[in-house]
Amino acid sequence: MDFFIQLFTDPVGFYNQHELLIAQIGINAILAIAIFVTFYSGQLTLANAGFMAIGAYTTVIMSLYLPTPLPLNMLVGALLAGLVSVLVGLPVLRLRGVFLAIATIGFVEALRLGVILNLPITGEGQGLHNPTADPLGGIVPILISLPILAYLVWRLTKSRLGQAWSAIREDELAASSNGINVPLYKMIAFIISAVLAGYAGALETHINFFVDPTEYGIGRTIQILTFAVVGGTTNVFGPIVGAVFLTALPEIVRMFAAYRDVVNGIILILIIIFRPQGIVGRGGLAIIRPRWWIRWRTREHAATAH
Amino acid sequence: MSTLLQLTDIRRDFGGVHAVDGVSLEIEEGTIFGLIGPNGAGKTTLVNVVTGYIRSQGGSIRLTSKGGTAEVARRPPHAIAGLGIARTFQTLRLYRNLTAIENVLIGMHTRRRDDTLRQMLPLRALMRLDDRRFGEARGLLQTVGLNPDLHGDRRASTLSYGDQRRVEVARALALKPKLLILDEPAAGMNPAEKDRVRELIQQLNEGRLTVLLIDHDMRLVMGVCKRIAVLNFGRKIADGSPASVSDDPAVVTAYLGSAASKTSSHVPGSEEMDLAATSKPAAAVEPAAALLDIRDLEVAYGAIKAVRGVSFRVGKGEVVALIGANGAGKSTILNTLSGVLRPQAGIARFGEIDLTTAAPDKIVRAGLAQVPEGREILARLTVRENMELGAWARRDRGAAHREIDDLMKQFPILGQRHNLPAGQLSGGEQQILAIARGLLAHPKLLLLDEPSLGLAPQMVDTVFEVIKRIQREGVTILLVEQNALRALEIADRAYVVETGRILLSGTGAALRRNPEVQKAYLGG
Repeated sequence: MDFFIQLFTDPVGFYNQHELLIAQIGINAILAIAIFVTFYSGQLTLANAGFMAIGAYTTVIMSLYLPTPLPLNMLVGALLAGLVSVLVGLPVLRLRGVFLAIATIGFVEALRLGVILNLPITGEGQGLHNPTADPLGGIVPILISLPILAYLVWRLTKSRLGQAWSAIREDELAASSNGINVPLYKMIAFIISAVLAGYAGALETHINFFVDPTEYGIGRTIQILTFAVVGGTTNVFGPIVGAVFLTALPEIVRMFAAYRDVVNGIILILIIIFRPQGIVGRGGLAIIRPRWWIRWRTREHAATAH
Repeated sequence: MSTLLQLTDIRRDFGGVHAVDGVSLEIEEGTIFGLIGPNGAGKTTLVNVVTGYIRSQGGSIRLTSKGGTAEVARRPPHAIAGLGIARTFQTLRLYRNLTAIENVLIGMHTRRRDDTLRQMLPLRALMRLDDRRFGEARGLLQTVGLNPDLHGDRRASTLSYGDQRRVEVARALALKPKLLILDEPAAGMNPAEKDRVRELIQQLNEGRLTVLLIDHDMRLVMGVCKRIAVLNFGRKIADGSPASVSDDPAVVTAYLGSAASKTSSHVPGSEEMDLAATSKPAAAVEPAAALLDIRDLEVAYGAIKAVRGVSFRVGKGEVVALIGANGAGKSTILNTLSGVLRPQAGIARFGEIDLTTAAPDKIVRAGLAQVPEGREILARLTVRENMELGAWARRDRGAAHREIDDLMKQFPILGQRHNLPAGQLSGGEQQILAIARGLLAHPKLLLLDEPSLGLAPQMVDTVFEVIKRIQREGVTILLVEQNALRALEIADRAYVVETGRILLSGTGAALRRNPEVQKAYLGG
């Protein structure tokens, strides 16, 4: 409760006290935008943690060995994630649904085991110290980037490209009969998503002094997925709301902080049962009732009627 | 007139079956070309080859227009659409969660330049193009007979079936196609709706649009097409004017089976009937000891009442038909009986079981099996595997396997194809598979939902003979049919359902002679 009281009575103090949390919310929101783009085109890809790692490691390694300015390092990190996504996407994007999800998880694992934990340049699993990290200054590019990216992706969904994504999500066969090049547009969504995830990874290293190799596994991927599921994927703001909500949650319910994952899991299950379209979904705040609930209610009515 | 589309010697096999076996066609610019043939003749396969969904294994497809000649074969579907060939699908494929307008807007994809950068700055001055496109989409909805103010902003899945079909045509038109392929646009429509489809096709053709029409309904095809090709077993058996095709003995045999054994009422699409007798329907004698007893059944989908107080009975050994137009509530009644839907009020008893509360699996175990509309065959499994799934709930595996073997012998159509994926069977063959699968549950009462849906008349005969045979073996049958004429032929008794109520009831023969029935459901 203190959390909210402070937010409204003393926003400056709130900001100073929770700066790292706010930064993390921003990063998670950008990751949520990244997974939204692939969701919007009807693809269940779980490769975002891998692309994050590429962005993060590339940025830090460049800072360690090259005299280039930090913004350039971040940009290169994001673009390299995009480049890798083309190589990954070519064989993998023919798959659909759960097969695509498994193949992309395979990519995340291969990257973690093959590159992050194995090569001298990535610290062989020891992680890397980031000499340029600036926890307080690092929040600025995050808070600037988030609204810009959210706006751009929102507008993107209104463009010809976004409409093609909608069509593919609804019915691939019909989309191709309307002249939409399905493999191409899926690839574009995958690349944009990878660049966004890479950028989020690069931003994240800038607020930490240390690049932690354990951050970029399946756990992170699933966390990003829950942003989208809890928030809803009807429009770009759904996953952002999901990210804000789930990232701030442990702070709001301090007493459950130790059970953070348990609380997350319960919320996820409740959302899937009672509101499958997510918090921000089509149709306002109506709740979809599961079939057993309706059956139980009708039986109650029948019982009282007799 | 110049040739727009030229098909030369197109071939396509599926696992040894020649689905399309060397077909050549020429479609002239500005014509309405009909493609007909019994179920499994290869019509849809041919359309899928032309539109790139199935690769041809031989032959060429040339599209000639002002821009020159292009080879269509072996291009991906989106590229073929880009050449100006638009299509609709036999089974509706709308973007269900998008609005009607959005569906049409997406149809303009190939005519639209990429506007990603412009969309980043949504200034009024830059949005003129969007407004124009929006106006065009509304116009296209009007062209196909929809009111954009009424239907434009509704999600496609909430529109009625007929309106969804119209949206699909509008979406195809949005491509500004040189050739429009309509794959069974009138499937599942009543005669009045079919007339409107015919008017629409004629109206589109007056705008110089070339149309390739695939349909079973001979009255529609004969009435609207200027030239017709007939396929049978993957080969073209006739090609010419409607008159010459309908007189062609090869066509008559392919379509009607042996012409001599059929009465005029079997001519597909011509739903004329013997109007001599106009007696009132004999009040149906409802059996005293009913196997199935329905009273005052009410079923609703949210706010929409689909079934409003329906009462009827089915006695042991009877064939009872529920007939009526699309959306009358027939399938809803069946789905309520099988426990898939729950009623708001009313009584439904099957022997000792209360169908309004019993779980679906208990209902099946008690001997009430449903063969659903659309058949719900598992396309990737073989015919035999589909049958084995039908016996899955049974404990006596050995006996079940023997029964499957017996059924394979009884239905040679299945026996010959037992190792083929069920998805490669024609519609009629799939229907027989679905019925055979239902029989494995040892039903006392078999619910059949639209068994003739989308079947050619010859195949309908086969399916209905199967139904009669099952009755002789002691199975009671409740049949839901839109094809009222055929259903009344085999039904002992029938009920006419309209907007969720029972309008008339009587013996099958009496209802067939009832002028009201003829007018309402047979287009007589």
